[in-house]
Amino acid sequence: MAMSTGTAPELPLFDLRLEPQDFDAVAQTLRSGWLTMGPRTQAFEEVFADHLGVAHAVAVSSCTAALHLAYLAAGVGPGDEVIVPAFTFAATANAVIYCGATPVFAEIVSREHPMLDVADVEHRITPRTKAVCVVHYAGYAAEVDRIKDLCDRHGLALIEDVAHAPSASLQGRKLGAWGLASAFSFFSNKVLSVGEGGLLATDDDEVAAFARSRRSHAMTSGTWDRHSGRTDTYDVVGLGYNYRLDEPRSALLLSRMQRLEEEIERRRDLTVRYRQLLCQVPGIIVPFEDAEVPGSSCYVIPIMLEQDGRQAQVSASLRERGIQTSIFYPSIHRFSAYRERFPGISLPITELASRTELTLPFYPHMTNDDQDRVAEALGQVIES
Amino acid sequence: MSEWRVPLTEIPMPEQDVQAVLDCLRSGWLTMGPRTQAFEAALSDHVGSPHAIAVSSGTAALHLACQAAGLGPGDEVIVPAFTFVASASAARYVGAQPVLCDIRGPHDFNIDAQDAAARITPRTKAIVAVHFLGYSAEVLALRGLCDEHGLVLIEDCAEAIEAQVDGTGRQVGTVGDLGAFSFFSKKQLCVGEGGMVTTAQEHLATKVRQLRSHAMTSGTWDRHRGHDPAYDIVDIGFNFRIDEPRAALGLSRLPRLHEDVRRRRAIVRSYRAQLAGTPGIELAWSDIDVERGSHFAFPVLLSNRDARDAFRAYLKQAGVQTTWYPALHSFTDYRHLRPEGGLPRAEQAADRHCALPLSCTMNEDAVAIVVETVRAAAAQLV
Repeated sequence: MAMSTGTAPELPLFDLRLEPQDFDAVAQTLRSGWLTMGPRTQAFEEVFADHLGVAHAVAVSSCTAALHLAYLAAGVGPGDEVIVPAFTFAATANAVIYCGATPVFAEIVSREHPMLDVADVEHRITPRTKAVCVVHYAGYAAEVDRIKDLCDRHGLALIEDVAHAPSASLQGRKLGAWGLASAFSFFSNKVLSVGEGGLLATDDDEVAAFARSRRSHAMTSGTWDRHSGRTDTYDVVGLGYNYRLDEPRSALLLSRMQRLEEEIERRRDLTVRYRQLLCQVPGIIVPFEDAEVPGSSCYVIPIMLEQDGRQAQVSASLRERGIQTSIFYPSIHRFSAYRERFPGISLPITELASRTELTLPFYPHMTNDDQDRVAEALGQVIES
Repeated sequence: MSEWRVPLTEIPMPEQDVQAVLDCLRSGWLTMGPRTQAFEAALSDHVGSPHAIAVSSGTAALHLACQAAGLGPGDEVIVPAFTFVASASAARYVGAQPVLCDIRGPHDFNIDAQDAAARITPRTKAIVAVHFLGYSAEVLALRGLCDEHGLVLIEDCAEAIEAQVDGTGRQVGTVGDLGAFSFFSKKQLCVGEGGMVTTAQEHLATKVRQLRSHAMTSGTWDRHRGHDPAYDIVDIGFNFRIDEPRAALGLSRLPRLHEDVRRRRAIVRSYRAQLAGTPGIELAWSDIDVERGSHFAFPVLLSNRDARDAFRAYLKQAGVQTTWYPALHSFTDYRHLRPEGGLPRAEQAADRHCALPLSCTMNEDAVAIVVETVRAAAAQLV
């Protein structure tokens, strides 16, 4: 892939703004001369675990890495199946393949509620099913309570893909605190972003120990341990990876974490207003209910075009008006790499959602004027 | 002990590096984009490789190199036993089997081409030549061997950026089909976590670029700059991306790399001049190797493992931090890869060596402290 040199849109999909205290945190870390996973990473993990209400948080290099470690920790291996939605980013399923297992795609409920359909998940359980991965799409809670019951009944591991949903909750319990293990993303466009980064959260001591070990080559001690004189040498006790986060990124996360709740509150306020505007635009479906907003991290604003076949044209016309959109998400099973490996899969609701979804510009400092402009342009483009 | 009198490594961080990272953070664009492109272009130029692809770590670079080279289940990959574990893990990630081979000897820790040749079977698909501790392996001989047998040559340059393969100035990472580099904290060019793949072959570069970011046909930056939002996924890829702050840091540090390596070499020369002839201490590698090396670490040899352990304990007591690298087949997870008869030279080197403090920031005073302590430690052992 050669990187493009075009121009930035006036209203981008996301727009990250960091604060002076973030710069200071990173600058201090760099000046300390200690960049390898150490005290700052530990401090961030403690704050995050505490915030989430779980026993362990293991910072890693990306959400993809967190998913990989979560599946491995759940014992997923060759011959196993993991049930995942296809209406998600490819990493949810790719990480199953990394383990040598097979992703089994389940349907979403509807375009209004584009979440894993519990009945369809149940229908796809076989003797080979090892785990179910639930995705909290766009920052909203999936029916993780019901999926947890289902997993418990069938002896399956529940993994949560919480890439979109830090600090979101269902029934007062944070998303990411329901499953055996959960995977968070700190990718640039995310609610809590750092560039590249991720985290595995769990209440299970063994899962945490496993993830800590495998994120750094299953070595029995780390560079920091040896620097601080705690140990002299190490053993390698399994096949591990380099899934470490480094100290500058941990320092940035730790600094940004302090504003997370406040930023999400702002996102919720903006989302309420955005939804009101969008609900007046004819020809679109605005997924989710207003009542779900307070429990959501309000990561993105997805809409679905009622009419099939117009996605590319609407997106291009909006781009001409300076408005960037994205597709969250193309159906995983329709990608070339998946069609070759897993042919013949049909998920009509997922596919329709993928063909009609557009994700609109959204960020915490978005102005009312910007929102008005997006809604107005969308209305004009759809009518044209 | 957390305050060493002389730590194993130190990372200089001039203010211009800090500012480069802050400029990037202020821009608000953190995903792989223009800074990564600029870093890659500068690396390609610096190393002398047509393609340089920045990734998340040296391990990721090795993994992508194995995958791009088409290695997979049923294949054997020859790897020296004396290296960091990632050199062998990479083969396992793609389902291939690492086959451990021996090194040249206690005075040259690098892969022995003859022993590698003896371990080639019909299933062998690749050789990983590790330029250990910053000293270049006999990669030109290995190139010949690989060509003769139709094998892929992967250079593990994680510890050896800017090391030279011969007297012509040709650098490591330009001889193999693919080269894997690391920008981990302790490395000559460090950004925290990071790495790079080099190759002269367009199709391998394309494959590595694809696999680094989930084999998506466009990236976040492309779409931000007007690329169609639709994309395909054409292979099972990974998230092995570096990000812009790390690329900015690497880009800021790269112009000083040559001078940093020159200083490391000067310290190694000074160490060698002062330690030569010290009873109980032997030096590894030759003066020519030192001139060609880029000096990730500086090892000395003791007479045996017990002497080495006692030597290290003495230095630790005196506030001098040292380390040593185990042979792969001594690890629980690699024991079963020990061949019949073992790998005696790798075992001997692993048992006998001790790496002394080495950073480009070390001054003569620090070197003098280490030399004095080493002499005193050695005197205790004799």
